Amino acid sequence: MGGGAKVPPPTARRAHKPGTSGWRANLEIGLLSGPAIIIFLTFVIAPVFVALYYSFYNWQGWGPARPDQYVGWGNYTWTLTNKFFWQAVGHNGFIMVVGLIMQGPLAVLVALLLNQKMRGRSLIRVLVFVPYVISEAIAGIGLRLMLRDDGAMNALLGTKISWLANPKIAIWTLMCILAWKYLGFAIILMLAGLQGIPEELSEAGAVDGATYWQIQWHIMLPLLKPTIKIWAFLSIIGSMQLFDLVYIIWGQYIAGIAGVSTMAWFMAGEGRLSGELGRGSAIAIIVFMISLFVAVVYQRFVLNRDTEGALTEPAKKAR
Amino acid sequence: MKARNVVIAITAAALAIGLAGCSKTSPSTSSTGPVTMTFWHNASQGKGSAYWEQAVKAFQDANPNIKINIEIVQNEDLDGKLQAAMQANNTPDIFFQRGGQKMADQVAAGKVADITSLIDPTVKSQLAGGLSVTTINGKVYGVPTSMMPEGFWYSEDLFNAAGVKAADIKTIDDLVAAAGKLKSSGVAPIALGAQDAWPAAHWFYQFGLRQCSKAEAEAMTAGKPNLDDPCWLAALKSLADFRDAKPFNDGFLTTVAQQGAGSSAGMVANHKAAMELMGAWNVGVIGSLTPDKNNLPDLRFFPFPSVSGGKGDQSAMMAGNDGYSCSNKAPQPACANFLNFFASTAQQKLYAEAFSTIPANPTAADAVVDPAMKQATEALGKSPYTLLWFDTALGQKGNELNKAVVALLAGQVDAAGALAQIKAALA
Repeated sequence: MGGGAKVPPPTARRAHKPGTSGWRANLEIGLLSGPAIIIFLTFVIAPVFVALYYSFYNWQGWGPARPDQYVGWGNYTWTLTNKFFWQAVGHNGFIMVVGLIMQGPLAVLVALLLNQKMRGRSLIRVLVFVPYVISEAIAGIGLRLMLRDDGAMNALLGTKISWLANPKIAIWTLMCILAWKYLGFAIILMLAGLQGIPEELSEAGAVDGATYWQIQWHIMLPLLKPTIKIWAFLSIIGSMQLFDLVYIIWGQYIAGIAGVSTMAWFMAGEGRLSGELGRGSAIAIIVFMISLFVAVVYQRFVLNRDTEGALTEPAKKAR
Repeated sequence: MKARNVVIAITAAALAIGLAGCSKTSPSTSSTGPVTMTFWHNASQGKGSAYWEQAVKAFQDANPNIKINIEIVQNEDLDGKLQAAMQANNTPDIFFQRGGQKMADQVAAGKVADITSLIDPTVKSQLAGGLSVTTINGKVYGVPTSMMPEGFWYSEDLFNAAGVKAADIKTIDDLVAAAGKLKSSGVAPIALGAQDAWPAAHWFYQFGLRQCSKAEAEAMTAGKPNLDDPCWLAALKSLADFRDAKPFNDGFLTTVAQQGAGSSAGMVANHKAAMELMGAWNVGVIGSLTPDKNNLPDLRFFPFPSVSGGKGDQSAMMAGNDGYSCSNKAPQPACANFLNFFASTAQQKLYAEAFSTIPANPTAADAVVDPAMKQATEALGKSPYTLLWFDTALGQKGNELNKAVVALLAGQVDAAGALAQIKAALA
């Protein structure tokens, strides 16, 4: 959606260029942006409306929906009154909040560390990023095998803990897996942010007698704020959409019992696995609305305010 | 102006996509020319997969005009993929068929070919009643390959080491006692792949078969059970009591059924667990997971024990049928001819050997040599009535039933809670 909003400005600039007639510019724009727009409309926007349409039908996917399958808001009330759905929503919320608390400070600390000149820095940077590069499917299957009751983790620790099946433990297992998997991404993002901060600022601080930690706290961290906010946004969106690791590690049945079900997992189970595609569409629309709400609220109240303060040049009144 | 261009472009693209979709239809129905068919089966390992390669090659040699492309789909993925393919009008020409309500749904959607008139008369007379599992309202929609009764597949060596005799396990109490002895001998008594849900649910089917009268159990397979009949609650309670005796492997909730040495079948194959409740495909599945990929030499069979006070016949069995169907778009008679071909006595003998299973064609029954499979065949002969797995019989709703049983085994709900979940699922 952001990509679409960025299209107009070049148009305006191009159109004013002397020597380029209007229809040529339009043709150029059409040719260049056309394919992207068509693909976006066909595979992103159209399916949203198709899902909306089918969400009002008791539809199993055999051929088009028939008028007698129309159930009005039936699929929505079924979902919104289903306690397993709300459990999943709760898990998503938990993952979102705890994910931010667990990964944020850790990522900033490691990024500060890796921003120092030290031996083996590039090696550590690569290693930190490795879990993020491994595909979810491979990591998921490997972790599933290691975390079984008779798996490598219990053998290593000499314990008998149900890392995956005990509902009191499983959610924390998931949080640790997520931290392991996505911390690298957060660190790389923070590191890039730190390196965008001019060195003169910390040097000036040092000259004025600030200690290392004072420099980090009073100079680096405030300037890193925009990066942290962007990372938090990505992390929140990722938490809302979490599906693959849960589905691969816990499978299609037991995530709810282990207390790690997510909204997308619930949708796959109640929509695809049970063959109730109309109901699945309704769940998809509800999840879409929840995610959209969270994203818009965050944009409006956290990100926007931030871009104004963060710009070093005189703030141009955006839009 | 600009908006209109976009509209035109989208319309053009949509038309192009639509046309591309259309151009794939209309296969030659009266095929004398070369024909290519896709074939989905779920024998993902070892001998079973080799059997199908052999069968396809032999069929192609006899019919040089026909080419069959095999695609192997992992069993747990099969139903979902098949449904997606059918919705996309992209059904494989020949596909694995479980029967029951699942087949009825496919037939109702018009995705399965009626091959009543194309069945070879010899095959028809040899299969006799066997064809009924793929017949709806007198029309034949597939050909069965095997008959698979369920019971316990156990390691005789591990039983001997623990001082347990399978012949002495007559009641559930005997089974609990045997599990205790096996546990103190240092192995997991019973392997259970509850992560896949259906292996756990089979325990409920068995308890239901024992607790409920024949009429009530049959009503369940017809999708119209009277869940207020106390036998269903009794079945769930007996299962909960049985679980409380802790006979299952540690971490059964996160154990899968068939994939790898850590799966429930793999635990039996590697002598980590003494037995598993499973259908007769298990001989082949366990065989593919042993270190040398051969059948487990000490694997034996005993039927599900009796429960006290049960209203069902205490020697009745649960069973399933594997089979294959043709899609509504498959080229005929090529597809039906392939089904006729593998249902022949000679091919069924090879099938029974490769899968270590009971062939659907009784004329190939003497190919069953595996000792465990012989015991299973014997038990099946004594079974007064045999019912199809409830989940298969119920179609997609069966998944919800299975989930409720897993929740019970996990201790998330009690028997009454599980019954309420099942009621909601079947309503």
